[in-house]
Amino acid sequence: MPKAVRILLHIGVSAILALLVLPAFVVVPASFNAASFIRLPPAAFSMRWYGGFFQDPEWLSSLATSAEVAALATGLSLSLGTLAALGLARLGGALRTALYGLFLSPLIVPTIVTAIALYYVSRPLGLVGTIPGLALGHTLLCLPFVLVNVGVSLHSLDPALLRAAEGLGAGPWRVFRTVTMPIIAPGLLGGAVFAVITSFDEVVISIFLSGITAKTLPVKMWETIRVEFTPVVAVAATFLILLTLTLFALLRLFGLRQAKPAESLS
Amino acid sequence: MKDTRSRRPLATALLLLPAALFLLLWFAAPLGELLRLSFSDPRGALAAYRELVTGDVYRRVFANTLLVSVVVTGISILLGYPIAHVLTRLHGARLHFAFWCVLFPFWVSVLVRTFSWMLLLERNGPVNAALEALGLTSAPLPLLFNNTAVYIGMTHVMLPYAVLPIYASLVRIDRRLLLASDGLGASPWTTFRRVYLPLGMPGVGAAAALVFLLSLGFFITPALLGGISNITVAMLIEHLVNERLVWSLAAAAAFLLLGVTLALLFVAARLVPIGQALSER
Repeated sequence: MPKAVRILLHIGVSAILALLVLPAFVVVPASFNAASFIRLPPAAFSMRWYGGFFQDPEWLSSLATSAEVAALATGLSLSLGTLAALGLARLGGALRTALYGLFLSPLIVPTIVTAIALYYVSRPLGLVGTIPGLALGHTLLCLPFVLVNVGVSLHSLDPALLRAAEGLGAGPWRVFRTVTMPIIAPGLLGGAVFAVITSFDEVVISIFLSGITAKTLPVKMWETIRVEFTPVVAVAATFLILLTLTLFALLRLFGLRQAKPAESLS
Repeated sequence: MKDTRSRRPLATALLLLPAALFLLLWFAAPLGELLRLSFSDPRGALAAYRELVTGDVYRRVFANTLLVSVVVTGISILLGYPIAHVLTRLHGARLHFAFWCVLFPFWVSVLVRTFSWMLLLERNGPVNAALEALGLTSAPLPLLFNNTAVYIGMTHVMLPYAVLPIYASLVRIDRRLLLASDGLGASPWTTFRRVYLPLGMPGVGAAAALVFLLSLGFFITPALLGGISNITVAMLIEHLVNERLVWSLAAAAAFLLLGVTLALLFVAARLVPIGQALSER
């Protein structure tokens, strides 16, 4: 390739990469606006809206709801997903492919479709506007990430170790606790981090299942954005970015670079 | 090894049962219920589908959804290809950093990123201010609440999904083939067009299929960045459920969307190794 073309290519690609990373961070200066509407760059900086966030019971309770839902959804998808990953590892052939497809299918079906289906069946069950209802919905989207992460770490599990432990007289639980668990720990941590992030960021299912009694943080943001451009939303967005970066750093700290499977968006 | 062989299938089934049961009860069954609902229109089993397919308003929504998905797929491939190519030429820390940039958006909530674009593209926002400062425009451009904003916001979300399958395909191309083409006297442009581009096509195909499928059902970004005339299928479904409360129509629209998605996935899986491209990410 001619040198000029290569240089131009690298400049262009660098610019696109910058455009991928930087825009999300504009919410940070926006959150420090002193005015009651967002101006970029802010005319005057102030922590006023951080105070506003923590003094508003609605924002605070949405943060608490999100935390509770994420904790429940992570616990549930971690238990179901780890068991399923262990089960899948013992299978082979078409059955394994079919089940893998079933477990990952919530990522293929458009989230809006899943959301209204769940909304329809949750209403008569009294699950709309409840934390368990939201957590059950989020678990559908978190489960694939746990499955993939634990599945990847199971590759490094030598079946001979399991046979050796069994041969030495260890029961199934003991084998899991003393051999399997330590080896798949990175996968469990990776799966848990993805589950927390997926649940905390989920909007579409939450919009339908939140009702008026259990709004998550993104639902509260969604509703507010549609009415006004208040810096409080930027404060909430800054918290979400901060949470993500903290968890990201946590994973890096443990030297993990787990692949995130096709994320469910929309 | 007393009874391992007879115990294994049962244990395997017990390990898989909780997750399988959960998905059947809380995913497959609700979708089944929604499917039943789509045929429950009092005017007849297929009335809801007929209304969607023949109604002018609905046709416009489908056309707009297709337009948005096609444009976003096109831009994502055009921007994603050079990124993927440059990634294959980087090593060490630079490769790590570039990969981090590509994957970073996955980590930040779609809602946050969409909100950021709202702030950037706003009438008095920084993009308009910059355009005016550069003397390119004399009055603020209407950048928000139209399809332009939707293209920008959605491409930002979809680009990583385009880069990864293309990268997976390009990185496996044997560079000796390029040298051979070069040695046989082909110009760089000919080598690209006749050797590099065709060999990378499976990845481009997988990327296009993936981005297109994800774009079809997208809700948050078009709902926030689009105007009242830029309605997509996902927004229509939300409107039918929350505002008009016509479940049969909403369910039928949902299954049209799901049907198209699955059909495209099926065709794409036959044309390109999409599963392979996905699993390599």
